[in-house]
Amino acid sequence: MTEATLTADATAARGTGEPMIVMEGVDKWFGDFQALKGVDLVVGKQEVVVVCGPSGSGKSTLIRCINRLEKHDKGRIVVDGIDLSDDVRNIQEIRREVGIVFQQFNLFPHMTVLENITLAPRHVRRWPKAKAREKAMELLERVQIPEQAGKYPGQLSGGQQQRVAIARALAMEPKIMLFDEPTSALDPEMIKEVLDAMVDLAESGMTMIVVTHEMGFARAVCDRIVFMADGEIVEVGPPEHFFENPQEERTKQFLSQIL
Amino acid sequence: MAVATPALAKRPPPWRNVRVRRWALQALFLLVVVAVVVWIYENLTDNLRAANQRTDFTFLRQQAGFAIPDPGFSSADTIFQAFLVGAKNTAKVAFLGILLATVLGVVIGVARLSTNWLVRRAAAIYVETLRNIPVLVIILFWYLGVLIRLRPLDEGSDILGLVNLSNRGLVLPWLDRTGGTAVFFAVLAVAAAAAVAAFLWRTRRFDRTGEPHRRVLWAGGILVVGLVVGFFASGMPFGLSLPERGEFATAGGFRLSPEYGALLIALTLYTASHIAEIVRGSILAVQKGQTEAANALGLTGFQRLRYVVLPQAFRISVPPMANQYLNLTKNSSLGIAIGYYELTRIYRISVAQAAPAPQATLVLMLFYLAFSLFIAGVTNLINRRLAIRGR
Amino acid sequence: MATRVDTIEPIPVPEPERPPTRRVPPQEWARENLFSTWWNSLLTVVFGAALAWALYKVTRFVFFDAQWQIVERNLRNFVVFHFPRGETWRVWAALFVVAGAVGLGAGAAATRREIEVEEGRAPAGGGRFLLVRRAVPLVLLVAVLLAFARSLEATLLVLAAAAVWLVFRLAGRRVPARHARWVAAIVFAALVAAYLTITAFGGVPWDRWGGLLLTVFLAVGGIALSFPLGVLLALGRRSTLPVVRWVCIVYIELIRGVPLITVLFMAAFALGFFLPATWDKPGLITRALVAFVAFTAAYVAEVVRGGLQSVPPGQIEAAQAVGLSPLRTTRLIVLPQALRAVIPGLVGQFISLFKDTSLVFIIGLTEILAVAEIATKQPDFLGQGLIVETLLFVSFIYWAGSYWMSRESQRLEARLGVGYR
Repeated sequence: MTEATLTADATAARGTGEPMIVMEGVDKWFGDFQALKGVDLVVGKQEVVVVCGPSGSGKSTLIRCINRLEKHDKGRIVVDGIDLSDDVRNIQEIRREVGIVFQQFNLFPHMTVLENITLAPRHVRRWPKAKAREKAMELLERVQIPEQAGKYPGQLSGGQQQRVAIARALAMEPKIMLFDEPTSALDPEMIKEVLDAMVDLAESGMTMIVVTHEMGFARAVCDRIVFMADGEIVEVGPPEHFFENPQEERTKQFLSQIL
Repeated sequence: MAVATPALAKRPPPWRNVRVRRWALQALFLLVVVAVVVWIYENLTDNLRAANQRTDFTFLRQQAGFAIPDPGFSSADTIFQAFLVGAKNTAKVAFLGILLATVLGVVIGVARLSTNWLVRRAAAIYVETLRNIPVLVIILFWYLGVLIRLRPLDEGSDILGLVNLSNRGLVLPWLDRTGGTAVFFAVLAVAAAAAVAAFLWRTRRFDRTGEPHRRVLWAGGILVVGLVVGFFASGMPFGLSLPERGEFATAGGFRLSPEYGALLIALTLYTASHIAEIVRGSILAVQKGQTEAANALGLTGFQRLRYVVLPQAFRISVPPMANQYLNLTKNSSLGIAIGYYELTRIYRISVAQAAPAPQATLVLMLFYLAFSLFIAGVTNLINRRLAIRGR
Repeated sequence: MATRVDTIEPIPVPEPERPPTRRVPPQEWARENLFSTWWNSLLTVVFGAALAWALYKVTRFVFFDAQWQIVERNLRNFVVFHFPRGETWRVWAALFVVAGAVGLGAGAAATRREIEVEEGRAPAGGGRFLLVRRAVPLVLLVAVLLAFARSLEATLLVLAAAAVWLVFRLAGRRVPARHARWVAAIVFAALVAAYLTITAFGGVPWDRWGGLLLTVFLAVGGIALSFPLGVLLALGRRSTLPVVRWVCIVYIELIRGVPLITVLFMAAFALGFFLPATWDKPGLITRALVAFVAFTAAYVAEVVRGGLQSVPPGQIEAAQAVGLSPLRTTRLIVLPQALRAVIPGLVGQFISLFKDTSLVFIIGLTEILAVAEIATKQPDFLGQGLIVETLLFVSFIYWAGSYWMSRESQRLEARLGVGYR
């Protein structure tokens, strides 16, 4: 399959069809263990892609390579036209455009919610304090916890913390949002509030890659599902196709286990 | 049909009653402890009387009858005053030691995480060597092996006539007051105020516009300008007191005795090796996710350290650092081995001068407890201020 | 479904590729680790020069300038001080007994560990030559001592002791796991036997020990006696009985608030006053031992308390729920879990104690540090400033001992690490 068809595929989904993220033949090793094996993936602007697969299949590594939390060993990654190379300036530029939400929230425990959100806009984007605060409050409204602004992360519930983490990532006004199993560390009753925030975000036209096991979310929101196993992309398709008519044996097996 | 209610439980016999048992156990324990204490106390008073010594603490008000090289103390003063001089000397070495050990320890701890292989190895060798040798050996080494083996005074080294180093100690140039001193400090005070103002102004400007504040640079620059202006405005703010070599001693300057020097150097080097490990451990203990989050937000390396890693590492390091400060203060008691007049040496002399040993030891311990409580109190305060709030 | 192309064909499994090779040529390694930036290059040059200079100075001193005769002539003093010459064989005999006991214990422990690794209850570790690498500081220490002794007899005896160790280690490896507790008992009995070999039947009581022998005795005796006391104090501190708790807290915190030397002085100068006049006054070494035990117990108590706190409260609840009495709960459920977690901390206390034995120099006992000082006052060496040589020698002894133990304790810590048991 050629790059052209990949791009066409993205076009068909939603949005404008410009490729936002292009990965070509990406390899990643941890010591002797190969976490990614020649991964090719193109994500279009405003597209929402869900990545799923058994644990250890390289899902997290895949999205962590996109903003250089992991350094890929081979292949090419282009984000919004910026080549992810060893150039510090490129890395920095990509990181400003890509927000990420972690499984374990990774909020800064010594800062209040507001300080967590305004830190990067003030020091990286160099916004005035008032503007950063305004933006932060706006985002907190959006994730529906404006009243928690003055608290510390440790004083919030898991769901609230994850929504703060989403707000923190959005405060940099990224063009792309990555989600690394955002609901896996949450109690069941808190999953919905985080998913709601994500659905809201998808509907606003954000380009998103979401690593998750929430198949309900995948079915309802995403444009394409990427299924990974053993560091490879096994199958890609729109949700209805993926769930009803999987092509690959490994996909069928996986689906039978989780559905 | 009514269900038969079970009869009210009978009160258990006392030996099976949990509450009675608890009281009995505690009473018994207390009885044993008190009995032992009373027994020791009886023996103590008997023995002291037999040895013709005081059984109370009035010895503290006795004339000391020994001299301490301290301008504020004469042999006519009381033993208690001698203890106070000892406490002052202990504080002197502990305070400066804590300061220097912290600086050195932080530098070495950071060096252990350096990307430079040579620096990393050198720091590791330092830590593994110093940590595994008793501090007393290090103290003796610096005193007997280095400082008092320096050349005697009459052939000691004068460096440019400014510094005099001999087996009598290190004499540094010191400053004397002159007519201009007041003017100098006045100018300096104005400069300091201006620096604070500039700092606040730059901070506010940063908040308003987001432009880089460079507040440390601004405030520091103003202070330096103030220093220079003050220096010239006041003519000559200080006279220089230089060490002058006499036959047996030096006059002028500021003298550090070899005893003080050896104790300070040894305690600093030894404690720094422990602090370095704490610093390294604390930085490593900040969770990886924190660094990742900071990276993902696009913070630069410096910003990541300044806003995310170091504030958290600092919190982690407070309790073990306090422990090292306590250890340093307690280890200063080993100054007795080289004749530095700190608390323990004063105690030792007092006991030799017929102060009753049990009470004198108790007083000595109380002095150290006071030091410990002070340091523990300060750290608890810091700890509470810094505690990360959670549910 | 529409004609849209929805799937990427599965990528054919690539032939097992190797990660991009990381075999770095030396110049590249140097560039990465020494000269990555101008600042790093500067550091490398400055540090390199300073290190080279220090290395030169130390080497020159140790191998050319130092007057090692003072150590050579006093070696016996360093090791046993005024131990009667006729009884020296007892020390050697004790060394053999200890070597055998330690070998047996080590062998049994190695077997047990092997089984644990096999059954997947412990992480495998080490690698080849681990045993050799672990022993480096100790071997170095013995080698230096023998080099100074320059005695064929001593060398042969040490080699024989090493052989005994090896033989008993091999024997220990064959002990079936179910007899493990017997091994512990045998090792303990052997240590007592070693002690008796020196003291009993017209031997030399510890009051007359000195040098390294005294150092080791104070450290081992101190930790052995302070351990049970420390456990009691820790349990007392966590007792639900307020009176017991407060007495323990006061004791622990008082001791931890004062320097060791004050406790030693208390024992040296004041202990005699606390005992009835009719009793024999204990000797100075006994008093020092009392001080070490009283002092170390407070620190051991805090270490053990940490272990007790690491046992989840659910364990105690579960024990009570199956009907164990409080005493049994502590003995069967809490202590076994707590003490396992506490071993590295205890080793740390032992290392501290080993270094702290040097303080008895101040109250006038002759362990190695005191010998270092006394030797320079002998008529042959007086006023020659040889204290640097002797201090360097005892520093090395302390360093080898405590560095070795701290490495072992790190290994233990890694082994007892989270996730297993």
